[in-house]
Amino acid sequence: MAKQMLIDALRGKKTDTAPWLPYSGVHCAYVINEPADKYLKDPQLLAKGLVETARKYKADGIPLVFDLSVEAEAMGLEIKYWNDNVPSVQSHPLSNKTVDEAGLKVPGPDDGRWPVLFEAAKIAKPQLDELDCALLGLACGPLTLASHLAGVRFFTDVVKQKERAHSVMKFCAQVVEKSVEMYAEMGCEIIAIVDPVASQIKNETFKEFVHAYCQSAIAAIHRLGKTSVFFICGDATKVLESVCQLGTHGFGIDEQMNMNFVRDLALKYKVGFAGNLKLTLALSLGILSPREDAIVSLAAGGTEGFTLAPG
Amino acid sequence: MPEKKIKIDVLTLDSVQCAACGYMMESIAAMPPDVQEVIEYKEWSIKGNDGIGKFMELKGKVLPTICIEGDLVFESIIPQYEELIDELAKRASSPEMKERLLSLREVGFNFDNIKENLQKAGAGQF
Repeated sequence: MAKQMLIDALRGKKTDTAPWLPYSGVHCAYVINEPADKYLKDPQLLAKGLVETARKYKADGIPLVFDLSVEAEAMGLEIKYWNDNVPSVQSHPLSNKTVDEAGLKVPGPDDGRWPVLFEAAKIAKPQLDELDCALLGLACGPLTLASHLAGVRFFTDVVKQKERAHSVMKFCAQVVEKSVEMYAEMGCEIIAIVDPVASQIKNETFKEFVHAYCQSAIAAIHRLGKTSVFFICGDATKVLESVCQLGTHGFGIDEQMNMNFVRDLALKYKVGFAGNLKLTLALSLGILSPREDAIVSLAAGGTEGFTLAPG
Repeated sequence: MPEKKIKIDVLTLDSVQCAACGYMMESIAAMPPDVQEVIEYKEWSIKGNDGIGKFMELKGKVLPTICIEGDLVFESIIPQYEELIDELAKRASSPEMKERLLSLREVGFNFDNIKENLQKAGAGQF
């Protein structure tokens, strides 16, 4: 395992081989034979799952959790837990209220499941260090957080009610900045802003809302001496150049992207890029051979700023 | 004879696991009651055989996608409310239904029955 090689690659540097970063998420619960809902609330289980999964897959880095409901839950939104999946957000307090009217506050280390994450990181970090495996903190990105808070109307608001949308995003940016600071405090070497829905908007909307409201969190990650990454899901082709211009050290994309296109843009902007094993077609369904799929990704990615990861 | 409802298929990875898929589903489930009366919709997750079959049948290209009456209408783009109304109206089964839908352009999303509507559409049930 090679933590520094992963950090180098995510910062766009040349490496001897491509490092490997499994976004294991609630799969860690499966590895230790525990249901996801129990796993995500128990620091001992979280730490056990992380370390066993990192060891099993010989990971160069592993996310503490891959759960975009942490911030929402810490603000009091209703969350539904599943025994075999990540929690989902069930209520949208800003669907008909402002931030002040809903009484929302930027959550801190004592709110929601944050104490569980702090405790899990404290247990797991020394063991991951022994394995030479980096710990990643994954903060919910501002647009996804705004969608959790306001519901699907937010995608109409960014066009029709810009003032309202900017006000929600301004609050979300504060939440994301606090999240990345907490992950840094836990000892995460790499901090990702994970904004899956940012691929589902027009490029001009991305620039106006995602780029602008990621900047304070990115600055915080850099101020704290950590490596910054932006994760986006889906077919992000239309916004990928803007992703490269965000100011993070690197980015991660999903299985629907063409890796040659992604690599060429990343090299142009001298940023790291991670992807894009076919999570669904190969790793989950087995329709494609995971081995052949990995070879295709490795061949396309090369060894300049590339990290092999699920897409 | 009852009016033929407008058929919507939402192709997803999984609306629980994937936030983008979740909000694609929610865009349909949060349509106001008067729209709910004239549409029928279902989530097709590619994690199951039925979903793979539907993806192939509709010639899907990306996830998530909203298909209306078999057309790939919103591919990797979460629609605005009015855009959805307009695309539904284009595919209404009668001029009266089209007119009724267009009259709802200013109503906006409604979150009162969202859980029931998502349940009915099979969201997260794979």
